[in-house]
Amino acid sequence: MSFPSEDILRRAIAFVAALGVGVATYIAIAESGGGSPVCLAGGTGCRTVAESSYSHVAGVNIAVFGVIGYLLLLATAFFANDLARFGGFAVSLGGLGYSVFLTYIEIFKIEAICQWCVASAVLMTILFLLNATRLIAYGGNELQEAR
Amino acid sequence: MNDADRRTKLMQLAAGAVFLAIVVVVALIVVNGSGSGGDAENIEGAAEVSDSLSGIPQNEMVLGDPSAPVELVEFGDLQCPVCKGFAEEILPPIIENQVKNGEVKLDFRNFTIIGPQSVDAGAAALAAGTQGRGWNFVELFYKNQGIEDSGYADDAFLEAVAKGAGVKDLAKWNEDRKLLRPKVEETTQEAQQLGFNGTPSFAIKGPGTKGLETIGTPNSTAAFEEAIEESR
Repeated sequence: MSFPSEDILRRAIAFVAALGVGVATYIAIAESGGGSPVCLAGGTGCRTVAESSYSHVAGVNIAVFGVIGYLLLLATAFFANDLARFGGFAVSLGGLGYSVFLTYIEIFKIEAICQWCVASAVLMTILFLLNATRLIAYGGNELQEAR
Repeated sequence: MNDADRRTKLMQLAAGAVFLAIVVVVALIVVNGSGSGGDAENIEGAAEVSDSLSGIPQNEMVLGDPSAPVELVEFGDLQCPVCKGFAEEILPPIIENQVKNGEVKLDFRNFTIIGPQSVDAGAAALAAGTQGRGWNFVELFYKNQGIEDSGYADDAFLEAVAKGAGVKDLAKWNEDRKLLRPKVEETTQEAQQLGFNGTPSFAIKGPGTKGLETIGTPNSTAAFEEAIEESR
Protein backbone atom coordinates (compact mmCIF):
# COMPACT_ATOMS: atom_id res chain seq x y z
CA MET A 1 0.00 0.00 0.00
CA SER A 2 1.45 3.36 -0.90
CA PHE A 3 1.05 6.35 1.36
CA PRO A 4 1.59 10.04 0.61
CA SER A 5 5.00 11.23 1.76
CA GLU A 6 5.17 12.34 5.38
CA ASP A 7 5.99 15.82 4.17
CA ILE A 8 2.67 16.06 2.33
CA LEU A 9 0.78 14.67 5.32
CA ARG A 10 2.44 17.20 7.62
CA ARG A 11 1.55 20.07 5.32
CA ALA A 12 -2.05 18.85 5.10
CA ILE A 13 -2.23 18.51 8.91
CA ALA A 14 -0.84 22.03 9.35
CA PHE A 15 -3.36 23.43 6.87
CA VAL A 16 -6.43 21.72 8.36
CA ALA A 17 -5.30 22.44 11.95
CA ALA A 18 -4.91 26.12 11.05
CA LEU A 19 -8.48 26.14 9.72
CA GLY A 20 -9.55 24.46 12.98
CA VAL A 21 -7.83 27.14 15.06
CA GLY A 22 -9.81 29.72 13.06
CA VAL A 23 -13.17 27.98 13.51
CA ALA A 24 -12.69 27.28 17.24
CA THR A 25 -11.44 30.82 17.87
CA TYR A 26 -14.51 32.21 16.10
CA ILE A 27 -16.84 30.07 18.25
CA ALA A 28 -15.00 31.07 21.45
CA ILE A 29 -15.09 34.79 20.62
CA ALA A 30 -18.66 34.78 19.27
CA GLU A 31 -19.94 33.19 22.44
CA SER A 32 -17.96 35.18 24.95
CA GLY A 33 -18.86 38.45 23.20
CA GLY A 34 -22.53 38.08 24.02
CA GLY A 35 -22.19 38.98 27.71
CA SER A 36 -24.13 36.93 30.22
CA PRO A 37 -25.98 34.03 28.66
CA VAL A 38 -29.73 34.49 28.61
CA CYS A 39 -32.59 32.64 26.94
CA LEU A 40 -34.02 34.49 23.98
CA ALA A 41 -37.23 33.91 22.09
CA GLY A 42 -36.74 32.06 18.80
CA GLY A 43 -33.09 31.21 19.42
CA THR A 44 -31.24 29.78 16.44
CA GLY A 45 -29.21 26.57 16.43
CA CYS A 46 -25.89 28.06 17.45
CA ARG A 47 -27.41 30.19 20.18
CA THR A 48 -29.34 27.23 21.57
CA VAL A 49 -26.17 25.13 21.57
CA ALA A 50 -24.08 27.93 23.10
CA GLU A 51 -26.67 28.47 25.84
CA SER A 52 -26.91 24.80 26.73
CA SER A 53 -25.20 23.44 29.79
CA TYR A 54 -22.94 21.36 27.52
CA SER A 55 -21.14 24.41 26.12
CA HIS A 56 -18.98 24.78 29.23
CA VAL A 57 -16.86 22.32 31.16
CA ALA A 58 -15.77 23.49 34.62
CA GLY A 59 -16.82 27.02 33.66
CA VAL A 60 -14.62 27.06 30.57
CA ASN A 61 -16.14 27.41 27.11
CA ILE A 62 -15.39 24.15 25.29
CA ALA A 63 -14.34 26.16 22.21
CA VAL A 64 -11.27 27.17 24.23
CA PHE A 65 -10.35 23.48 24.54
CA GLY A 66 -10.89 23.28 20.77
CA VAL A 67 -8.44 26.13 20.14
CA ILE A 68 -5.84 24.43 22.37
CA GLY A 69 -6.36 21.07 20.63
CA TYR A 70 -5.98 22.53 17.14
CA LEU A 71 -2.87 24.48 18.22
CA LEU A 72 -1.33 21.25 19.56
CA LEU A 73 -2.14 19.51 16.27
CA LEU A 74 -0.62 22.41 14.35
CA ALA A 75 2.52 22.08 16.47
CA THR A 76 2.85 18.33 15.75
CA ALA A 77 3.00 19.10 12.03
CA PHE A 78 6.30 20.92 12.53
CA PHE A 79 8.18 17.89 13.85
CA ALA A 80 8.94 14.59 12.15
CA ASN A 81 9.51 12.26 15.07
CA ASP A 82 7.50 9.60 16.87
CA LEU A 83 6.45 11.94 19.65
CA ALA A 84 4.84 14.28 17.12
CA ARG A 85 3.31 11.37 15.16
CA PHE A 86 1.79 9.74 18.24
CA GLY A 87 0.93 13.07 19.86
CA GLY A 88 -0.94 14.18 16.73
CA PHE A 89 -2.75 10.86 16.59
CA ALA A 90 -3.71 10.95 20.30
CA VAL A 91 -4.90 14.58 20.27
CA SER A 92 -6.92 14.12 17.09
CA LEU A 93 -8.39 10.88 18.47
CA GLY A 94 -9.45 12.73 21.63
CA GLY A 95 -10.85 15.55 19.49
CA LEU A 96 -12.73 13.13 17.27
CA GLY A 97 -14.17 11.29 20.28
CA TYR A 98 -15.30 14.54 21.87
CA SER A 99 -16.77 15.72 18.54
CA VAL A 100 -18.76 12.47 18.27
CA PHE A 101 -20.08 13.01 21.81
CA LEU A 102 -20.99 16.67 21.13
CA THR A 103 -22.70 15.83 17.86
CA TYR A 104 -24.74 13.19 19.68
CA ILE A 105 -25.66 15.80 22.33
CA GLU A 106 -26.61 18.35 19.66
CA ILE A 107 -28.88 15.94 17.81
CA PHE A 108 -30.48 14.02 20.67
CA LYS A 109 -30.31 16.27 23.73
CA ILE A 110 -30.21 19.91 22.69
CA GLU A 111 -32.03 19.12 19.44
CA ALA A 112 -30.27 21.95 17.64
CA ILE A 113 -27.42 21.93 15.17
CA CYS A 114 -24.80 24.63 15.05
CA GLN A 115 -23.03 24.78 11.69
CA TRP A 116 -19.77 26.00 13.27
CA CYS A 117 -19.69 22.99 15.57
CA VAL A 118 -20.33 20.73 12.57
CA ALA A 119 -17.47 22.44 10.71
CA SER A 120 -15.16 21.75 13.64
CA ALA A 121 -16.27 18.11 13.81
CA VAL A 122 -15.54 17.66 10.09
CA LEU A 123 -12.08 19.26 10.42
CA MET A 124 -11.30 17.08 13.44
CA THR A 125 -12.36 13.96 11.52
CA ILE A 126 -10.05 14.90 8.63
CA LEU A 127 -7.22 15.56 11.10
CA PHE A 128 -7.74 12.17 12.71
CA LEU A 129 -7.57 10.42 9.32
CA LEU A 130 -4.40 12.34 8.36
CA ASN A 131 -2.73 11.67 11.72
CA ALA A 132 -3.73 7.99 11.71
CA THR A 133 -2.29 7.62 8.19
CA ARG A 134 0.88 9.39 9.31
CA LEU A 135 1.30 7.14 12.34
CA ILE A 136 0.57 3.92 10.42
CA ALA A 137 2.84 4.82 7.51
CA TYR A 138 5.74 6.45 9.35
CA GLY A 139 5.44 5.48 13.05
CA GLY A 140 8.64 3.95 14.47
CA ASN A 141 10.62 5.08 11.47
CA GLU A 142 13.15 7.52 12.85
CA LEU A 143 14.97 7.47 9.49
CA GLN A 144 12.10 9.52 8.13
CA GLU A 145 13.07 12.40 10.35
CA ALA A 146 15.11 14.13 7.72
CA ARG A 147 12.33 14.18 5.17
CA MET B 1 15.28 -0.41 20.38
CA ASN B 2 15.16 -0.90 16.62
CA ASP B 3 12.61 0.58 14.23
CA ALA B 4 10.48 -2.57 14.13
CA ASP B 5 10.22 -2.71 17.92
CA ARG B 6 9.41 0.98 18.16
CA ARG B 7 6.76 0.54 15.51
CA THR B 8 5.16 -2.40 17.32
CA LYS B 9 5.10 -0.41 20.58
CA LEU B 10 3.58 2.61 18.87
CA MET B 11 0.88 0.55 17.20
CA GLN B 12 0.04 -1.11 20.52
CA LEU B 13 -0.19 2.29 22.18
CA ALA B 14 -2.37 3.59 19.33
CA ALA B 15 -4.70 0.60 19.55
CA GLY B 16 -4.97 1.10 23.31
CA ALA B 17 -5.77 4.79 22.79
CA VAL B 18 -8.49 3.96 20.26
CA PHE B 19 -10.02 1.42 22.64
CA LEU B 20 -9.92 3.93 25.51
CA ALA B 21 -11.48 6.66 23.36
CA ILE B 22 -14.36 4.38 22.34
CA VAL B 23 -15.00 3.40 25.97
CA VAL B 24 -14.96 7.04 27.13
CA VAL B 25 -17.30 8.26 24.35
CA VAL B 26 -19.77 5.42 24.95
CA ALA B 27 -19.66 6.08 28.71
CA LEU B 28 -20.24 9.82 28.20
CA ILE B 29 -23.20 9.13 25.93
CA VAL B 30 -24.71 6.60 28.35
CA VAL B 31 -24.28 8.95 31.34
CA ASN B 32 -25.75 11.91 29.48
CA GLY B 33 -28.47 9.88 27.82
CA SER B 34 -30.21 9.19 31.09
CA GLY B 35 -32.10 11.52 33.40
CA SER B 36 -32.99 14.09 30.77
CA GLY B 37 -35.76 15.59 32.96
CA GLY B 38 -39.26 16.51 31.88
CA ASP B 39 -40.62 13.18 33.12
CA ALA B 40 -43.93 13.38 35.01
CA GLU B 41 -43.48 9.82 36.27
CA ASN B 42 -40.16 10.60 37.84
CA ILE B 43 -40.04 13.96 39.60
CA GLU B 44 -36.77 14.21 41.49
CA GLY B 45 -35.46 16.45 44.26
CA ALA B 46 -38.71 17.31 46.10
CA ALA B 47 -37.21 16.70 49.54
CA GLU B 48 -34.10 18.68 48.68
CA VAL B 49 -36.18 21.67 47.53
CA SER B 50 -38.39 21.43 50.60
CA ASP B 51 -35.33 21.36 52.89
CA SER B 52 -33.65 24.31 51.20
CA LEU B 53 -36.78 26.48 51.51
CA SER B 54 -38.05 25.33 54.89
CA GLY B 55 -38.53 28.05 57.43
CA ILE B 56 -38.57 30.85 54.83
CA PRO B 57 -41.89 32.71 54.56
CA GLN B 58 -43.60 32.53 51.16
CA ASN B 59 -46.30 34.95 50.17
CA GLU B 60 -47.59 34.27 46.64
CA MET B 61 -44.37 34.36 44.58
CA VAL B 62 -42.36 36.31 47.14
CA LEU B 63 -39.80 34.34 49.11
CA GLY B 64 -38.55 35.83 52.35
CA ASP B 65 -39.58 38.21 55.09
CA PRO B 66 -42.31 40.50 53.66
CA SER B 67 -40.70 43.42 55.51
CA ALA B 68 -37.21 42.79 54.08
CA PRO B 69 -35.74 46.14 52.98
CA VAL B 70 -34.50 44.90 49.60
CA GLU B 71 -36.67 43.23 46.98
CA LEU B 72 -34.91 41.28 44.23
CA VAL B 73 -37.21 40.52 41.31
CA GLU B 74 -36.45 37.71 38.89
CA PHE B 75 -38.15 37.73 35.52
CA GLY B 76 -37.86 34.14 34.42
CA ASP B 77 -39.27 31.50 32.11
CA LEU B 78 -39.61 28.07 33.68
CA GLN B 79 -38.62 26.41 30.39
CA CYS B 80 -35.39 28.43 30.14
CA PRO B 81 -32.24 26.36 30.76
CA VAL B 82 -30.25 29.45 31.75
CA CYS B 83 -32.87 30.23 34.46
CA LYS B 84 -32.41 26.67 35.71
CA GLY B 85 -28.66 27.30 35.88
CA PHE B 86 -29.24 30.47 37.92
CA ALA B 87 -31.65 28.68 40.26
CA GLU B 88 -29.19 25.87 40.89
CA GLU B 89 -25.84 27.63 40.90
CA ILE B 90 -26.05 31.38 41.45
CA LEU B 91 -29.11 32.11 43.60
CA PRO B 92 -28.88 29.45 46.36
CA PRO B 93 -26.25 31.37 48.41
CA ILE B 94 -28.43 34.51 48.22
CA ILE B 95 -31.43 32.51 49.51
CA GLU B 96 -29.31 30.83 52.17
CA ASN B 97 -27.88 34.11 53.46
CA GLN B 98 -29.56 37.38 52.53
CA VAL B 99 -33.09 35.94 52.20
CA LYS B 100 -32.92 33.75 55.29
CA ASN B 101 -31.57 36.56 57.45
CA GLY B 102 -34.36 38.89 56.39
CA GLU B 103 -32.33 41.38 54.33
CA VAL B 104 -33.77 40.43 50.95
CA LYS B 105 -37.02 39.07 49.58
CA LEU B 106 -37.02 37.34 46.21
CA ASP B 107 -39.94 37.84 43.87
CA PHE B 108 -40.37 35.48 40.90
CA ARG B 109 -42.30 36.99 38.00
CA ASN B 110 -43.02 35.18 34.76
CA PHE B 111 -41.46 36.51 31.58
CA THR B 112 -42.61 33.84 29.15
CA ILE B 113 -40.62 33.92 25.94
CA ILE B 114 -39.92 30.32 25.04
CA GLY B 115 -43.27 28.81 24.10
CA PRO B 116 -46.96 28.36 24.96
CA GLN B 117 -46.16 25.83 27.69
CA SER B 118 -44.11 28.53 29.43
CA VAL B 119 -47.41 30.31 30.11
CA ASP B 120 -49.04 27.08 31.36
CA ALA B 121 -46.05 26.44 33.63
CA GLY B 122 -45.93 30.05 34.84
CA ALA B 123 -49.63 30.05 35.75
CA ALA B 124 -49.18 26.70 37.51
CA ALA B 125 -46.39 28.25 39.60
CA LEU B 126 -48.59 31.23 40.52
CA ALA B 127 -51.38 28.83 41.52
CA ALA B 128 -48.93 26.97 43.76
CA GLY B 129 -47.99 30.38 45.15
CA THR B 130 -51.55 30.94 46.40
CA GLN B 131 -50.96 27.91 48.65
CA GLY B 132 -47.56 29.09 49.85
CA ARG B 133 -45.69 26.68 47.58
CA GLY B 134 -44.76 28.97 44.67
CA TRP B 135 -41.00 28.78 45.17
CA ASN B 136 -41.11 25.05 45.82
CA PHE B 137 -42.89 24.72 42.47
CA VAL B 138 -40.37 26.94 40.64
CA GLU B 139 -37.32 25.22 42.10
CA LEU B 140 -38.72 21.72 41.60
CA PHE B 141 -39.72 22.56 38.03
CA TYR B 142 -36.15 23.68 37.29
CA LYS B 143 -34.73 20.52 38.84
CA ASN B 144 -36.86 18.43 36.51
CA GLN B 145 -36.78 20.71 33.49
CA GLY B 146 -36.86 18.88 30.14
CA ILE B 147 -35.51 19.83 26.74
CA GLU B 148 -36.38 23.42 25.90
CA ASP B 149 -39.91 23.74 24.50
CA SER B 150 -40.16 20.05 23.60
CA GLY B 151 -43.73 19.67 24.87
CA TYR B 152 -42.84 17.99 28.16
CA ALA B 153 -44.52 20.66 30.34
CA ASP B 154 -48.00 19.24 29.88
CA ASP B 155 -50.76 18.92 32.49
CA ALA B 156 -49.42 15.61 33.83
CA PHE B 157 -45.94 17.08 34.33
CA LEU B 158 -47.26 20.28 35.96
CA GLU B 159 -49.47 18.29 38.30
CA ALA B 160 -46.59 15.99 39.24
CA VAL B 161 -44.44 19.05 40.03
CA ALA B 162 -47.29 20.60 42.05
CA LYS B 163 -47.65 17.40 44.08
CA GLY B 164 -43.89 17.20 44.63
CA ALA B 165 -43.85 20.86 45.64
CA GLY B 166 -46.32 20.11 48.40
CA VAL B 167 -49.42 21.82 46.96
CA LYS B 168 -52.14 20.50 49.27
CA ASP B 169 -55.36 21.35 47.46
CA LEU B 170 -54.86 20.16 43.89
CA ALA B 171 -58.45 20.93 42.85
CA LYS B 172 -58.01 24.57 43.90
CA TRP B 173 -54.59 24.65 42.22
CA ASN B 174 -56.18 23.38 39.01
CA GLU B 175 -58.82 26.08 39.16
CA ASP B 176 -56.37 28.84 40.09
CA ARG B 177 -53.91 28.08 37.31
CA LYS B 178 -56.61 28.84 34.74
CA LEU B 179 -57.59 32.07 36.48
CA LEU B 180 -53.98 33.25 36.87
CA ARG B 181 -52.98 33.10 33.20
CA PRO B 182 -53.64 36.84 32.67
CA LYS B 183 -51.21 37.55 35.53
CA VAL B 184 -48.50 35.71 33.56
CA GLU B 185 -49.15 37.88 30.50
CA GLU B 186 -49.11 40.96 32.74
CA THR B 187 -45.63 40.31 34.17
CA THR B 188 -44.35 39.39 30.71
CA GLN B 189 -45.48 42.82 29.50
CA GLU B 190 -43.92 44.42 32.56
CA ALA B 191 -40.58 42.76 31.69
CA GLN B 192 -40.79 44.05 28.13
CA GLN B 193 -41.60 47.54 29.39
CA LEU B 194 -38.53 47.37 31.61
CA GLY B 195 -36.53 46.72 28.43
CA PHE B 196 -35.67 43.07 29.04
CA ASN B 197 -35.33 40.76 26.06
CA GLY B 198 -34.03 37.53 27.61
CA THR B 199 -34.41 35.40 30.71
CA PRO B 200 -33.49 35.46 33.47
CA SER B 201 -33.47 39.24 33.93
CA PHE B 202 -33.42 40.93 37.29
CA ALA B 203 -34.55 44.16 38.92
CA ILE B 204 -34.02 45.41 42.44
CA LYS B 205 -35.77 47.78 44.82
CA GLY B 206 -34.45 49.03 48.13
CA PRO B 207 -33.84 52.16 50.21
CA GLY B 208 -30.92 53.04 47.91
CA THR B 209 -32.80 52.76 44.62
CA LYS B 210 -35.29 54.97 42.86
CA GLY B 211 -38.12 52.46 42.70
CA LEU B 212 -37.57 49.23 40.79
CA GLU B 213 -34.23 49.43 39.00
CA THR B 214 -33.12 46.94 36.37
CA ILE B 215 -29.83 45.13 36.88
CA GLY B 216 -29.94 42.91 33.79
CA THR B 217 -28.48 39.45 34.26
CA PRO B 218 -25.67 39.53 36.85
CA ASN B 219 -23.54 36.48 36.10
CA SER B 220 -22.33 35.55 39.57
CA THR B 221 -23.45 35.39 43.18
CA ALA B 222 -20.90 38.11 43.97
CA ALA B 223 -22.47 40.40 41.37
CA PHE B 224 -25.86 39.92 43.04
CA GLU B 225 -24.38 40.63 46.45
CA GLU B 226 -22.89 43.84 45.10
CA ALA B 227 -26.25 44.91 43.62
CA ILE B 228 -27.96 44.13 46.94
CA GLU B 229 -25.33 46.14 48.83
CA GLU B 230 -25.81 49.13 46.53
CA SER B 231 -29.58 49.08 46.93
CA ARG B 232 -29.49 49.12 50.73
